[in-house]
This record gives sequence, C-alpha cells and structure tokens, in this order.
Amino acid sequence: MKPMLRSFLALVITITLVCALMLATGDNPIIAMRELVIGAFGSVSNLAATLSNATPLIFTGLAVAVAFRAGVINIGGEGQMAVGAIAAALAGIYIKGLPGFLHKFVALFVSLLFGMLWAFIPGVLMIKFNTNETVTTIMLNYVATLLCDYLVNYPFRKPGAPLGFTHNVLSTARFSPLMPLTRLNTTFILGVAIAIGLALMYRYRSIGYEWKVLGLNRRFAKYMGFKVDRLRLLALCLSGGLAGLGGAAVVLGIQYRYVQGLSAGYGFDGVLVSLMAANHPVGVILVAILFGALKAGGLQMEAATSIPCELTQVLQSVILLFMAAQIAMRKIVGTTPTLVTDQSSGTDVKGEQVSNV
Amino acid sequence: MSSSHMALSLLNMGIRMTTPLLLAALGGAATEHANIFNIALEAMMLISAFTAVVANHLFSSPWMGILAAVATGLLIGLIFAWFSISLKVDVIVVGSVLNILSVGLTTFLLRLLFHVRTTFSSPRMVPIPVIQIAALEKVPLLDALFNGHSLLTYVAWLLVLVSWFLYYKTPFGLHLRAAGEHPEALATVGISPDRVKYQAALISGAFCGLGGCHLAIGYLNQFVENMTAGRGFIALAAVTFGRGNPARILFATVLFGLADAVAIRLQQVGIPSYFPMMLPYVLTVISLVVVSVREMKRRGHMKS
Repeated sequence: MKPMLRSFLALVITITLVCALMLATGDNPIIAMRELVIGAFGSVSNLAATLSNATPLIFTGLAVAVAFRAGVINIGGEGQMAVGAIAAALAGIYIKGLPGFLHKFVALFVSLLFGMLWAFIPGVLMIKFNTNETVTTIMLNYVATLLCDYLVNYPFRKPGAPLGFTHNVLSTARFSPLMPLTRLNTTFILGVAIAIGLALMYRYRSIGYEWKVLGLNRRFAKYMGFKVDRLRLLALCLSGGLAGLGGAAVVLGIQYRYVQGLSAGYGFDGVLVSLMAANHPVGVILVAILFGALKAGGLQMEAATSIPCELTQVLQSVILLFMAAQIAMRKIVGTTPTLVTDQSSGTDVKGEQVSNV
Repeated sequence: MSSSHMALSLLNMGIRMTTPLLLAALGGAATEHANIFNIALEAMMLISAFTAVVANHLFSSPWMGILAAVATGLLIGLIFAWFSISLKVDVIVVGSVLNILSVGLTTFLLRLLFHVRTTFSSPRMVPIPVIQIAALEKVPLLDALFNGHSLLTYVAWLLVLVSWFLYYKTPFGLHLRAAGEHPEALATVGISPDRVKYQAALISGAFCGLGGCHLAIGYLNQFVENMTAGRGFIALAAVTFGRGNPARILFATVLFGLADAVAIRLQQVGIPSYFPMMLPYVLTVISLVVVSVREMKRRGHMKS
C-alpha cells in the first residue's frame, strides 16, 4: 500500500506540474487536453493517422512480447527492423515482373527472413556460449544501423538524393492506403492479424505453453524435458522476424523506400509497448494505438497551443515508470524472483544476473 | 613528415573523442561492479549536456555549467536508483524509459525555453578553458597527446586513477563489489547492499554528468537535439569490454575514440566510415564470447 500511495502521489504531482506549466505559458490545460483527444480521434483522417502511427509499434511491440514470454530479453528490435526494412526495400525495387500479390508477399517474406537472421546471431551466441542476449542484442543494433546506413549511402543510394535513401519500391510492392490521403494501409491489418494469430497460438499450441513455462522458470522447463535451447533460439528468431516485418510495414506501406535512420527509436518503444501490455499480443495492439494516438494528438495540441508536442512523449514515459513501479512490470519476464537469474544453478556467467536488481 | 603530422592530429582528435566515453564508462564501472545493468548512461549524459548549456547560458560561467551537469547526473542517478532499487522495477525498464524520456524532455525544454529546434547556442556561453602547456609543444607526440584539450579531458584521465583506487583499494570499493557479487555476505556484516547500490548509481550519474557537460560545452558550446547519439551505449560497451576495471576501460575508450577519429577523417575524404564505427560494438560482442568460453572451460576443468 505504501509504495502505491507514493507512486500515486508522484503521479498527481506530475500532472499538477504539467498543468502549472501550461498555465505559465498562457495555455488552458483543458483546451490542450481537448485538442490532444481531437487530434487523435476527432475525425476519420485523425484516426487514420493514429492507426498508421501505431502500425510499426504493433510489430516491434509483438517482437519484444514474444521474446519476453520465453524469458529472452531482446532489446535489438531497432537493428532487426532496420535489416528487415532494407531487405524489403531491395526486394521491392529490384525484383521485377511479379504480380502485385506475389511481389508484396515476397518482400514481406524477405524482411521476415532477414530480421530472423539478424536475431539468429545473438541467438546462437546465447545458446552456444551463454552470452547475455540483452547486451549482444543492444550492441548489434548499432552494427545493423551502421551497416544499413552504409548500404543506403553507397551501393543502393538513389543518385542525387539529398539524404541517404533508396529508389522507390515498384508499385506492385506497395500497400496502398486504406483511405485516400492517409498513411493507414493494409500492414496495420496484417499486424493485428499476427497479434491475434499469436494469441491463438499461445492458447492452442504447446509451444505457447512451453515458452510461458520457460519464461517463468528456466530450470523447471529443463526438468520438464523441454528443449530449452531450441525454444529460446526460436523465440528470439521469431522476435527478430516480427521486428523485420515492422520494417517492411514502414517501407512498403508508408515511405515506399528505405530512408536512413528509418528504424530509430522503434526498438525501445517496442519494449515500452510490450511492457505496458504485460507481454500480451492483443494488449500490444491497444497500447500501440494509445502511443500512436498520443503522437497524433500531440501534433494537434502543438498547433493549437504553445506546448511543444514532445510533451506527450515525456508524459508517456513518466506515467509508464509509475505504472511499472506498481504492477506486473517489476520484472520483465514472469513473476518469481528466480526468472532471469539462476544464481544457484552455477551455469550462468556473471552477465546473466544483470537484471536481478 | 606529412604522414606523421596526420597521425599526430588523428591522435589528438582521438583523445578528444575519448573523453566523454571515458567519463561515462568510468561511472558505468561503479554500477557494473554493483551488478546493475545500466543502460541509462545515455540518458544521464544527454540531460546533463542540456543543463550544462542552460546554466552556462544563464550565468556565463563554464563552472556553473559543470556544477549543473553534475547535479543533473546525480539527480538522474537518484531517480534510476529509486525506481530500480527501492521500487524494484526491472533495470532494463527503468533504463529504456529514462533513455526515451531524455530525448523527449530535452527537445521539449529546448523548444519551450529557447523556441528553437535541433540546435541551441548563445554568445553568452563561456567555454571550458583549454589547457596549453608551452613546455610540451616542442615534443610533437606529447604536444598531440596532452595539449589543446579542454580541462575535463585532464579530469577524465585523473579520474581513471581515482576510480581505480576507489573501486579496488578502499573499503567502499570492497562493499561495492560485494554488493554485486555477494549481497548476502555484505548484509551479514551489517552493510545494506541497497545503500551501496544507490551510491553506485549516484557515482555513475555524476560521471555521466561530466561526460555530457564535456560534449556540450567542452568544445562546441552548444546543445544539439539527441547530441549523445548513442555514446552512452559505446560507454556501456567499454564497461562490458573492460569488466568494470578502469585500466581496461581506458584502453577500450581510447581505442573507440581513435576509431571515431579515423571514421571522421575518412568521412572528410569521402571514404565510407561506417565500418570503423562498428568497432566498439563488434569488439564488445567478441569479448563477451571470449569471456564466456573461458568461463565454460574453467567450469569444465573444475568438474573433471
């Protein structure tokens, strides 16, 4: 009760401070709030902006959620997304003569494959050498983005482009808008379908149960006779593949090309989305839409008041911290204190214990 | 002559690039020893860089800038510790949120306070003094190594010794490492491991404050949106590579700083510089594998 009270107090203080800040800049907090909601949901096109903002977050959020369920900590979504995005772009540009349906399918498949391959590297290191996947996935983010930066600035750069970006993907590879003049497209539906598919898989296939047990207690999973290494590697690869698909969603549905820095920030945002959704696939959709709404609403708020739109990002982080302080998110995976750490088993290197703080 | 001149100027630039990494990594060593996986180094540096610029702008004094940056670092360290140690939120959650918050918050304040986007600088700011020792100018190598750097560069080198002494030669260092490796043992002698972990988080914050300060008012005297640009993670790579030992961290950060300098030089002559920039991350992954293999061999030995 006491920590809950403290968190609640801190939250009240935060909101009071924000209101005071708005009053100090001569803005009415109620008007600001109203504009925020209108900007996110006030019209069909605003709603479309919210949902299209949410689309990449659904993919990176699901990516993180799949890994966390199995007790694998994948912070490498940003790199996996970048690799998947550039693979989708190249498939969309250079594979010619396919009918639209097949071309889109091939480009999506390639992004899934390359996202999985990029996650396979830390995955193999994790099961062969017992390296801490938290650290290796973070480090490989930068290797991936630098590699993609190189590719998009040298071999595949559109000549004369002011920034590093590729040619546009062929029209057969593009997902057209669901509504004219918006960026909302079929990849949003794809993301929702994958989330529901995952939820059904968790419910009806044994692998969902095995991942859950593994995430709750790795040693117990070993005693149950699960192929722990294979399950962990599979979770990490699927996670990377989903992040890669997120890259394809941006390339084939929104940008129509790979632009340098395309995946920046989405990996870590995915961590927050997954945590707020308690790693549940359907929850990921809702939280991603909420984040998308804050982004869309923030812009409208900025236009109507003198409050910069980054305020929503600040509030989102602060609120998430206080939420994390009281509910299910204290530990990334599971609920018992022996999850990530297995101090007594003696099989883990020191790095393995880092999250037990 | 020309090539040796180039090597020396590269060395000089490398040392310049090393300083913020070294400062942040020496702080990260404290949390590493306390077994706290601190990805918030980035956030600590970025917010401190911002407050350093604000304080320098307000008071026209680099000293106030340094003071504000260290105070900010301590504050972020305290927030990090409160959430991760007292409220028991997973450190990766706290670190991720703080990193995202730091970019949003500094951009928000930049626009709210100064009504600018991306970059803020002001004529009222006074840079941190640059040290030039006349006696060293005659020896080119010493000149390149030790001359023309901002004061904080020398502070960073001094802190290598100080932090080595602190982590390995003082009772506090012993407690710190015990808090990481055997917290129960530490508790049985009547010292709270949580208290020591708080101190570690505060040290990392203060050091990162200096690092962020150096980035902002060490040479350029400006704040740029997201100006740390992943340096916190390079520092984290150095900490992991150096396993918390300041001497190894010094080696790693100088290497990474030199790689950075080489990358900048290559960029200037139009050669792709992306591959030298990968060095810190690739080396860290390799070093993790090497450590793990060694550990597995040692364990195998003991069993047989």
